[in-house]
Amino acid sequence: MTEERFIREVREQQEPLRRFLLALCNGDAALADDLAQDALVRAYVASGSFLGLSKFSTWLFRIAYNCYIDYCRKNKPEQTSVEEAQALPAQETSDASFRYQQLYQALEKLPEKEKAAIALFYFEELSIKEISAILNIPQGTIKYHLSSGRQHLKQHIQL
Amino acid sequence: MKEIEDFLKENKPIVKDDPTFLLKTRQRMEAVEGIKAEVDRQRTHGRKALIITLIVGLIIGATATAMSFLYPVDASSVGEGLWTSFRAFLTQWKQLLVFVVAAMAITLGVLLTRGEKSSMRL
Repeated sequence: MTEERFIREVREQQEPLRRFLLALCNGDAALADDLAQDALVRAYVASGSFLGLSKFSTWLFRIAYNCYIDYCRKNKPEQTSVEEAQALPAQETSDASFRYQQLYQALEKLPEKEKAAIALFYFEELSIKEISAILNIPQGTIKYHLSSGRQHLKQHIQL
Repeated sequence: MKEIEDFLKENKPIVKDDPTFLLKTRQRMEAVEGIKAEVDRQRTHGRKALIITLIVGLIIGATATAMSFLYPVDASSVGEGLWTSFRAFLTQWKQLLVFVVAAMAITLGVLLTRGEKSSMRL
């Protein structure tokens, strides 16, 4: 893969990638962006080994998830970054701010795989098959994580 | 469960528009390129050194083989001479040799014990 093509693909994928990591990092945008850059550099170094057997986005998300897991192993989990939720664009209502705060706080309580499955399925709208390839777990287990994740979220989110 | 699904779909995390994101990524990629170039340079340098060593070794080996064919020496006389001088050396310096071996054993023992202690501290 040429550098130009890599940059082109990254330009298309940067927003979903950052959103996925933002959900995994419970709303900590600075950390999410740092991990996203780390993942992109890793992907760039390994771009020669990308054979095109899966979609570029699937491959990139998998690298990003691995970066996040590496980060979690090295660092203790941090508190939910509430200021991120409060620092929403001006047109957003305080209701929205509260909803995001609730969402990030609820996501923080989920196990890593459940959180990743929920983020990929609901925020990125990926198929079970794609999520299975990204998280490297069977499709049945993904369905279980989604169901269990929803149950856990229901306990923490007031609707 | 439908409410939770709707809540998640309606509240996707919002990524702030950051024009510097790609720029920073590109800078990191350039830094990685620099490291890769340096590693490649060192690898080439190491490969060159290996090839030169191999050629020099082959030349020395070939020269030694040629010399041994051109100027043959009686191997048994050389072997006997070496063994005699080795025995004479051992007889002359045996006390000193025993002392050196004992000192080395004690030093090694002390060093190993200290190494274990420092690793336990870590």
